[in-house]
Amino acid sequence: MKRRIFLPFVITLLILSMILSACAPAATKAPAAATEAPAVPTEAPAVPTEAPAVPTKAAELQPWTAKYNLSAPDCAYGGELKSIEAVDQYTVKFTLCNSDPAFLSKVAFPAFGIQSADYLVKTGGTGDLLSTPLGSGPYMLKEWVRGDHITLVPNPNYWGPAPMNKELIIRWNKEAAARLLEIQAGTADAIDTPSPDDFEKIMADPTLNLMPRKGLNIFYLGMNTAMKPFDNELVRQAVAMAIDKKRIVDNYYPNGSLPAEQFVPPSMLPGYVEGYKWYDYDPEGAKKLLAEAGFPDGFETTLGYRDVVRVYLPLPGKVAQEIQSQLAQVGIKVTIAPMESGAYLASVAAGEQYLFMNGWGADYPDPSNFYDFHFTGASKSFGDPFPDVVDAIRAAAYNSDTAQRTQLYGKVAELIKLHAPMVPIAHGTNAIVYKASVLNPEASPLQDEQFQYMSVPGQDQFVQIQAGEPISMYCSDETDGETFRACFQIFDFLYWYKPGTTELVPSAAESYTVNDDLTEWTFKLRQNNKFSDGTPMDSNDVVQTFVVQWDATNPLHVGNTGVFEYFGGYFSKMLNAPE
Amino acid sequence: MLRFLVRRLILLVPVLLGILIITFALARMIPGDPCTIALGEHATQAVCDKYLDRMGLNDPLPTQFLRYMSSLVRGDLGNSIRTNETVTSIVLLRMPMTIELTIFALLFATIVGVPMGILAALRRNSFVDVVTMALANVGVSMPVFFLGLLLAYLFALVLKGTPFWLPPSARLTSGLSTVPLMETFNLTNLRGFPLTLVTFFSNMVVFNSLISGNWKVFGDSLRHLILPSITVGTIPLAIIARMTRSSLVDVLGLDYIRTSRAKGLKERLVVFRHAFRNALLPITTIVGLQLGSLLGGAILTETIFGLPGMGTVLVTSIFARDYPVIQASVVLIALIFVVVNLLVDISYGYLDPRIRLQ
Amino acid sequence: MGIEIEDAKIGSKQVPSNVWLEALHHLLEKRSAVVGLFILGALTIVALLAPIIATYDPIEILRDAKRNTPPCIHLLGCPEDQPEHYFGIDGNSRDFFSRVIYGARLSLLIGIVTIAFSSVVGTLLGAVSGFVGGWTDNIIMRIMDVMLAFPYLLLAIAVVAVLGPGLINALVSIAIVEIPAFARIARSSVISVKEMDFVTADRALGVSPVRTLFRRILPNALTPLIVQGTLGIGTVIISVASLSFLGLGAQPPTAEWGIMLSEERNNIFNAPHLLFIPGFLITLTVLAFNLLGDGLRDALDPRLNR
Repeated sequence: MKRRIFLPFVITLLILSMILSACAPAATKAPAAATEAPAVPTEAPAVPTEAPAVPTKAAELQPWTAKYNLSAPDCAYGGELKSIEAVDQYTVKFTLCNSDPAFLSKVAFPAFGIQSADYLVKTGGTGDLLSTPLGSGPYMLKEWVRGDHITLVPNPNYWGPAPMNKELIIRWNKEAAARLLEIQAGTADAIDTPSPDDFEKIMADPTLNLMPRKGLNIFYLGMNTAMKPFDNELVRQAVAMAIDKKRIVDNYYPNGSLPAEQFVPPSMLPGYVEGYKWYDYDPEGAKKLLAEAGFPDGFETTLGYRDVVRVYLPLPGKVAQEIQSQLAQVGIKVTIAPMESGAYLASVAAGEQYLFMNGWGADYPDPSNFYDFHFTGASKSFGDPFPDVVDAIRAAAYNSDTAQRTQLYGKVAELIKLHAPMVPIAHGTNAIVYKASVLNPEASPLQDEQFQYMSVPGQDQFVQIQAGEPISMYCSDETDGETFRACFQIFDFLYWYKPGTTELVPSAAESYTVNDDLTEWTFKLRQNNKFSDGTPMDSNDVVQTFVVQWDATNPLHVGNTGVFEYFGGYFSKMLNAPE
Repeated sequence: MLRFLVRRLILLVPVLLGILIITFALARMIPGDPCTIALGEHATQAVCDKYLDRMGLNDPLPTQFLRYMSSLVRGDLGNSIRTNETVTSIVLLRMPMTIELTIFALLFATIVGVPMGILAALRRNSFVDVVTMALANVGVSMPVFFLGLLLAYLFALVLKGTPFWLPPSARLTSGLSTVPLMETFNLTNLRGFPLTLVTFFSNMVVFNSLISGNWKVFGDSLRHLILPSITVGTIPLAIIARMTRSSLVDVLGLDYIRTSRAKGLKERLVVFRHAFRNALLPITTIVGLQLGSLLGGAILTETIFGLPGMGTVLVTSIFARDYPVIQASVVLIALIFVVVNLLVDISYGYLDPRIRLQ
Repeated sequence: MGIEIEDAKIGSKQVPSNVWLEALHHLLEKRSAVVGLFILGALTIVALLAPIIATYDPIEILRDAKRNTPPCIHLLGCPEDQPEHYFGIDGNSRDFFSRVIYGARLSLLIGIVTIAFSSVVGTLLGAVSGFVGGWTDNIIMRIMDVMLAFPYLLLAIAVVAVLGPGLINALVSIAIVEIPAFARIARSSVISVKEMDFVTADRALGVSPVRTLFRRILPNALTPLIVQGTLGIGTVIISVASLSFLGLGAQPPTAEWGIMLSEERNNIFNAPHLLFIPGFLITLTVLAFNLLGDGLRDALDPRLNR
């Protein structure tokens, strides 16, 4: 190699890169602290909650004013919220555009943990907000060693009873077997979602306590009505009859899981209506229908799925092969086409799959959470929505009378069975495992266990191992269950769940009142709430928590991704959203 | 010597550029996008379009590449799409773990492998030779993940309750942690590159606890590294053992060894003073070249043992389409690999004059 | 093709006349290589006779079997009324023994096909590069360097991530990643032989360069390539198993050892044999190839004193 050739080559490259750095377009996203000296990882900051800009003394001297109230000019923007106002220092009023019986459940959700308005301003709605949160819940963050563990310590300024443990350590491991190994080895006090194949073993072990969670989820086999031959209703009904749900649930789901008769699980009232059952398992009947539809010898198609463990589907690969085998018995030859998780979800959402496996876990315990997303056109996975189904669902969602809702949801179940865009298969349960010595263990149906009530005699710390690492501590802009399990421990909510149940009890708010048609919700806050750094919490903080999510033009509407997915999902639209 | 060095360094540049381009292209070619992954079943087209626009991910690829190159030149590795941390902070936190694991695995492989090879060479064709070489062969044939599972099962479950029990995962026992070096040595006024350097070493748990005198953490961290090091180091160990044996056997057959024996030199002197030094050359080369195998093994092993290193970051970011992190991790790992290979080449040239003078 | 040498008597031993037979003779003298050959022979027989040896269809879900049933061998005391499954039932209600048998067939096939592809492409690239020299050589070697700059598994994962999971894609990915090794070997052999007299003689005689390449140069480069190929098969089998383990290789319901390990990974407590058997067999197969490759290296090396 001649040196002479390479020297000018190198110089050219250097000049080229200098030109590039000068001319290339700037990055569109301005990260919070991009070119600074690399951040010291949030390993052991001193008490992370710095005092916000406004000193408490000054706040006491000035008369209280509502700073962040916001009203939409009218309901034409399409969202559910009309206005959020701080009526006085300890009263917050939400006015809605339509009647919403599920509103209380919606605000009792990790995405609506009450933030400190001053801290939001200080962090600019992003950056430190994500990694060093300031909350008024039972715990506060001591350290977060990314990839390794999170340590939470009790919040000295919490209004409620102090946590029973001095340190809550959250760790994670993707492998169910590894989590089980740790609790058996004694290095963990609680583990989340053991593998269903290990249930018997755990129950037989006297040192462990398996607590099943009720399944608020659905696993279904979806069909795309825009793709042949699933555009033919008879074909879909035939598939609906060809699936032996009982066999699937018995073999591939843990004890306590149920074969599904409707799209919503039995505990999701008033969405689940007694007496409405799915087609019986009838392979002969299925073959007859297929012949009638013009496929006497069956047909060929592909079944898509992703090999990711979910509460509604603990053993995806095995269930896919089972379904393939069952459909083969009525003449439908299925090729299994697993895809990588992200690619699969994109494909389903774009309506590109023929036959596909998917599911849904409840975000809040109301049937509108299940039906609205799937069958009113928001999702393209099933092809075009059925107008009769859409009407029935809308009527049921915004009705304030329980008896009427039940009737309407009955109609929805009937129509869905007729059109059969999917086959509901199972409501999966999963479980949480504790050491037998743990006091006050809890299994939350929404997978948000409140560890503050638990302890192990003789030790100060409590170690919990879950399936994945939380993404950030700003719950409002996250969607991941593993994130919620951790971040909700740091915040307080207007109302929250009584441990182990789906019953709501007062938390940051002492009480609430609502008008007859469920459009005005007024909450009275506790008067001595404080954030973990000592600053007081009042109605301004509650209002601001919601407003920065609601108003798309608010300078603090930044977060991690800026999507605020749950706000959009629960309240339909944001104010001033760009088109 | 200098010409040799400069020549090799210059050859590095096109290779680096190639690495960057290939990494960028490969990362973008993976189907799916970060938004859909993040939102899962709840993702909708409208929401994701807005999200991707914000991230600049809907721009044409060449534009994105130029933007990336320009920020790279300025030293900015970007931000993680998933968690919004700076990629630099992620690297500073995770890379030391992988490096510690690699160093310990290499130490294990060398400290056990070289003597094994020497023993086998000295007792050529004896029972000892056959057994050690058989073990080495098995070691090289076993898939890393299988070995890791076996070891975890054996030491964490089967040996539970015995003094031989070893923890199955994590870097430290829950509740223990290290204090950053900045605090221990009162170095609060650092900025820029010195700060980066100190942070990097501070995150090497074994090193940190050693020089801080934190013996409890030191012992605990070593204990947690035993199984992963053995898992990652077994294949290199086998290769080093075999190489040592064959290299030493070759040298022992040379004339000058026969001469020294004829002169009446003690066998030990013959072997270690004369033979071993010449056998050392290919051994050191092999040791350096095992790095590729070690890094690949580290990726699988970190997943099995739940260690927070670069390997887990890479796998997670591939599945989450976290492009800045994927690009940075792959480029850095490849860079380390290239640099080490270069150093090995240079040391080979230094140790063996015949190569240099080519 | 071989170079003929005359019968010679060295001491009292009769030396065979052909270089290849001579190599075989030396190979069989080495114990470890013989062991390797034995194992491979057994595996090949099993693989060829798979449809006969296997008791069930490897991908058929047995409707009456209970998942994760332990092995039942009538000869070893299992009651007669229970159906016989030598290795038990796996997590998907399939007969494990049959899956293992068919897995042997698949693994051998994977190894051989992939290496065949890599060795041919790699050798051609390396030979052309070494023979032609100049800028062609430079460019090809730079590309090989960049490929070698990535740790093996990393590059394989990246390529498969792009192509999408699947056995064929995994094979393509690994084949690509294996190419540089062959290219390098072919190139260095070609370069060292290029300057020898018989090549110069060919050129003087006006023989076309392509003919020289194929008839004179490559045969002499064959030895290291054969060794690399044999050892490479072992590497390929492990790599495909690793990719399948990560979910990026063989997909269900294929009966491949790597994916079998991955599927049953969480059954390590209740059915450890589902893990140990495929793992052990992968190790055994790779070991056999390694022993054979080592033996070949020694046997084909003309420098070793005999």
